[in-house]
Parts: sequence; C-alpha cells; structure tokens
Amino acid sequence: MEVEGKGGESGTTTTTTAPRRFALPVDAENKSTTFRLFSLAKPHMRAFHLSWFQFFCCFVSTFAAPPLLPVIRENLNLTATDIGNAGIASVSGSVFARIVMGTACDLFGPRLASAALTLSTAPAVYFTSGIKSPIGFIMVRFFAGFSLATFVSTQFWMSSMFSGPVVGSANGIAAGWGNLGGGATQLIMPIVFSLIRNMGATKFTAWRIAFFIPGLFQTLSAFAVLLFGQDLPDGDYWAMHKSGEKEKDDVGKVIHNGVRNYRGWITALAYGYCFGVELTIDNIIAEYFFDRFHLKLQTAGIIAASFGLANFFARPGGGIFSDLMARRFGMRGRLWAWWIVQTLGGVLCAFLGMISSLTWSIVVMLIFSVFVQAACGLTFGVVPFISRRSLGVISGMTGAGGNVGAVLTQLIFFKGSTYSRETGITLMGIMSIACTLPICLIYFPQWGGMFCGPSSKNVTEEDYYLSEWNSEEREKNLHLASQKFAETSVSERGRATTHPQT
Amino acid sequence: MYLKIIDCMHTINVRHTCDTHLFILPYQNHILFQIMNIHTLLFVSVLIFSLTESSRGRNKDRLFTELQNSIEVTAKPVKDSGVLEGGKDMVTITWKLKSSTKVDMDAAFKTIQIKLCYAPISQVDRPWRKSDNKLSKDNSCPHEIVSKPYDMTPQSLDWTVERDIPTGTYFVRAYGIDGDGHEVAYGQSTDEGRTTNLFSVQASGHHVALDIASIFFSVFSVVSVFVVFVMEKRKAKFEQRR
Repeated sequence: MEVEGKGGESGTTTTTTAPRRFALPVDAENKSTTFRLFSLAKPHMRAFHLSWFQFFCCFVSTFAAPPLLPVIRENLNLTATDIGNAGIASVSGSVFARIVMGTACDLFGPRLASAALTLSTAPAVYFTSGIKSPIGFIMVRFFAGFSLATFVSTQFWMSSMFSGPVVGSANGIAAGWGNLGGGATQLIMPIVFSLIRNMGATKFTAWRIAFFIPGLFQTLSAFAVLLFGQDLPDGDYWAMHKSGEKEKDDVGKVIHNGVRNYRGWITALAYGYCFGVELTIDNIIAEYFFDRFHLKLQTAGIIAASFGLANFFARPGGGIFSDLMARRFGMRGRLWAWWIVQTLGGVLCAFLGMISSLTWSIVVMLIFSVFVQAACGLTFGVVPFISRRSLGVISGMTGAGGNVGAVLTQLIFFKGSTYSRETGITLMGIMSIACTLPICLIYFPQWGGMFCGPSSKNVTEEDYYLSEWNSEEREKNLHLASQKFAETSVSERGRATTHPQT
Repeated sequence: MYLKIIDCMHTINVRHTCDTHLFILPYQNHILFQIMNIHTLLFVSVLIFSLTESSRGRNKDRLFTELQNSIEVTAKPVKDSGVLEGGKDMVTITWKLKSSTKVDMDAAFKTIQIKLCYAPISQVDRPWRKSDNKLSKDNSCPHEIVSKPYDMTPQSLDWTVERDIPTGTYFVRAYGIDGDGHEVAYGQSTDEGRTTNLFSVQASGHHVALDIASIFFSVFSVVSVFVVFVMEKRKAKFEQRR
C-alpha cells in the first residue's frame, strides 16, 4: 500500500517534514476541509467510504436474525422470552465494546482497531448456521452484537480525517449510512432466504445458509479497510507513534475528565432514547408486522426495512439541521432542535402502538423513523462541544448509552409476554419523551442552555475548554489542540446574541 | 382497501383471513349474507332434519365451542418412543364417525380436514401459536395434513412428518366441513385438556457441511487478525529504523 507523501522523519516533532499533496484541500493538520461524496480520493474520502461500509456490514450482521425470526423460532422452538433475551443480548455486548473502542483507537488507530473487531466477531455470524437451541441463539446474537462498536471507530476516523466545518457532516453521513444496515438487512435476509429455498433447500436449512452472506460481507469489508485505508492523512498510527510524531495524553486523566462532565451523562441517556429506540425497533418490527397484520415474510421485511432505510437521509439531515440551527441561534438552537425533534419522535412512537390499521401503521412508522434518526444526528451535533480533551470518552459514553437504552427498553417492555408488542411500543414512546427531558438541564456557561442565556460572569470558550487542563499540563503545551478548538467554537454563539469581547 | 385485499390473498389461512377483511365492508357483507342464506335454504330443503346448533349461515365467525365432537381420531407414531424427525418418521392417523352420534349427523359433511395442532405445552409464551375460540383467529392448528372428501367408512393414513414442521409437541384434529366450507364438527386424538396422546417433533435443518464451512471461515478471519498485527508491528519497526 503506497502512502502518498509519507516522508515523516523519525524522532523529530518539528516541521521538517516533506510537503504532502492531497486530492482535497486541507487545513494545518492535513484534515480535509471539504467533503466530496462521490470521490474515492485517498486518504480522506477513501477512509469515509471504507468506514461507513464496514459499519454498515456490522449492522447487517447484528440484525440479520430479526427478519427471519418467524422461521428461526419454529426451528429452535423459541419462546417469546428467548426472543426478547436474544434481542437484549444483541445490543448489550457493544455497551462495553464501545467504551473500550475509544481507547483502542487511541492505541492502535481506528483502521486496525475496527478491522480487528470486525474480523473477530465474524465467527459469531458464521456459527449462527449451526445453532440448535435457544441458548445458542442468544450466544451468537450476543457476540455478533459486539461489532456495533465500529460506530466509535467510524466517528474517530472521520474526526481525524475531516476538519471542523465538515466533520459534522462526515460523522453524520458515515453514522447514518452505517445504521442503514439495520434497515437493509430486513430486506436482504428474506430475499436471500427465498433465493436459497428456491434452489431446493428446506425452510430450516435455508435460513442457516443465509447467514453466510452477512458473515462474508463483514470479513470482506474488514479486509478492504486493512488494504486500502490509513488512520491519519499523514500515515498510520503505529508507525507514527513509534516515530514520535504523535503525542500521547494520560489515559487515566482523560477518562476522569470525561466521566466528571455531567453533560456526557445526559447525552448518554438521551441517545439511549433515540438510538436505543432505533435498535429496539430494528429487533422487533419485522415480527410485529408479521404477527399483527398476518403478512408474508418478505412483505414484513420490506416494511421493516423502510424504517432503517430512512437513515440514508434522516440521520445526516439531523446533523445538517443541527449545524443550520447553530449558525443562527448557536448552541441553544442545537439543544432546542434536538429536544423538539426527539420528543416528537417519542410521541409518534406512542401513536404507532395504538394504530390497528396496516396502512396507517406504515405511514406513522415512516414519519417516526425520520424523527428518531434525525434526533441521533442532532445528538452528535452537540457531543463534540462537550469536551475537547475527552472527546473520545464522551463519544464512547454517548454511544454506549445508546445501547444501554436499547437493553433497558427491551428488558422492560419486550421480554416475554408481559406486554403485547403494541403496548410495548406505546410505552417505549412515553419513556422516550420522559428521558428526553434532561436535555433541558444541559448548560454551557459560555453559550447558555435551553432556558438560560450565557453566564453573567462572561465565561469564554477558552475558559471552558482550557479548564480541562491544569497549569502543569499547560506548561508542557499539551493544551494547544484545545486552544485551537476553543477559537473555532466561537461560532456556537450564533448570530443573534452579542457577547462582549473580553 | 386494495392493500388489504392483496394481503388477504397471501396469508397462510386464506379463507379465514379473507372473510375477516371482507366482513369489514358493510356492502359486501350484505351480499355474502344473501348468498349464505340461499345455500343453506337449499340445504335445509334437502335434509329431513338437522341437529346443528349454529344459526343458518348468519354467523360467519365459527366458534370452536359450537362444533360437535362427533369424529373419533387416533394418531400413533410408528416409532414407539422418542422424538419424531421431520422427513423420516411416520404417524398413523385414523378417523371415523363416533358410534355414539345420532344418525345422519354426518350428512352435513362434505370434506374432512385433518390438521396438526400444537399442544398447550408448545403454546406457552408463544403468542403466535395462541388458540382462539373464533376459528378464523385461531392459530393453534396451522398445518394441514390432508383434506379429503368425506367417506362414511373409517379411514386411515400413514403420514410422514414433513421436514418443515416446527419443533414442538402436537396432537391431531379432524374438522368435518360442510358444503359451504364451514366447520360443523371436529374430533381430536387427545382429551379435552389436550394433555394425553401427544407426540413431539424435532425440526433440524442442520448439516455437517455448514459446520465445516463455519469453522473454515471463522479460523480464516481470526488468523487474519494476528497476521495483520504482526505485519503492522514489523512495518512500524521498519519505519522507526528509517
């Protein structure tokens, strides 16, 4: 793999590196300042396409079982409790994996970390073809679900490749197109299943063979990332670490700083009730339409797929909407937009369970999908500003919070036969509205919150971000990246407010 | 309404679901009601007397509790004990009119439909297999074994358990169906509580070839991780020396 313009001298950290030429315009850190969707130019756009496609394949594998559940449950004699437990298992593995992935990216770089995870979880998908009992089903779904941690590596990689003005879009589109996998799989798996059946296999063999498709795609996407991707515009992590080009921060301090920030916990909870709701729906919606409206497997799959397919534009749209609101109203606009969109998503979810007509169920579900996925995009419009030093930790916490929300929701409302599926969906909507309220509590002293303006003590962005470093660390100049970030984040004041210059 | 009709044509239990959907449109309900009346009026004029309780064709939602238990059914697996395997094991099913039933009870039967039904133990915590008194909503007997025109003599069938019969515990039920396609009587191979004379089926679908393929691809994936890490370490050392 030829790395264009790689000429970093080992051992030095000063600017005597050879000039590097890139296909896209770059800033001082060699991060691209534009986003060209249809380009495959290395390293930036190539990294974008590799990372979203790998994340997409992981989503396809994690949610490959739900659309085929009407067949699998008959083969393995699953109860509603078993199915609920497997759904919980599928999203709980990556709670831990997402938190660890941030550190793994720091140590090994997003390319190696994500490809290693994807390759290590592919066996779980392959072994799904051999399961014979409910326990086997729960185990394979648990281990396959770890691959959802590639979300963190996607965001990390995009943040390394793209600079401020476009990083929101890059992150939003990469995450949205990855989440698309949850919808695409509801279409792909029933089609693959019927193709295999038409070739002569029985029902209970066809579904087993079908699982090789997501498994193979997962393996191939990991190889593509390894062969064609690189961690940073200037090269790969390991090589650069050893050559001293990259400075390391104290992992313990970074974690402590991130965990201490209450805003990270609120975004984690709120993300649990937009992304968590999305994951839950991915798990239950095909079976819901199959059982409640007596549809064919493929028809239920198509309807279920349309939920996840909205991710193609809804999640990026949420990110772009967040940026638009910030331009006019600053951070307060981002918070208001996020709260309104997510609450409306909850309202629509509550309605979905109450509708007994097929046509109206589909209509409400489609509108609901746009709102809930846009809310996910809006979440990550706010997250990058919570902390600069511990961006990885906050992103990891929020991402993990999404999965925790999915685990909790499935545990309370979709396990066994306590609540009917429609009641569960309505209650999930109500819980979503309740858990979105804490967004009102997020307050930035330099920009304000939903109900309060900026602090009367005239706190600046610099004050906020540099307070994450103590004076010793500042003497060692570890805080320079945060300083640069503070300067660019002044745009979060919005156009409407005038803030006295300090 | 068009969407509903298409769905109705593709569901498993075609007749029952179609009835339900068409039932919603009052205009069409009225037409069917008329047709039913004509059929049953003709029927009554041929029959000398009838002992069925159900109102003549007015109630399309047949209830299970309205049916007469007038058919005697037995279902014995050919294998003496153990779980039956799809595609291999057989069940001998017999059915005949109960000797205790009144004469001409079976005059209404046109067809006998033999179905495989879930025992309560296979319905626990599985709402998609729920029993319902309304036959159109009942999901407990989804598999039809055979449907034959009614023959007054006792019948027997050696049925091979099909390979796509789900894993579960079953009994056999026979429905006596009249000329309009409605159930008028039933019989089952178990008692009223559906606890005796049950047999179990194990569905498989599992093949050794699949296991081998899984192991091969899994080993390939995991080994690749190690190979890549070793290669990257070497490359880093090389860069460092440069």
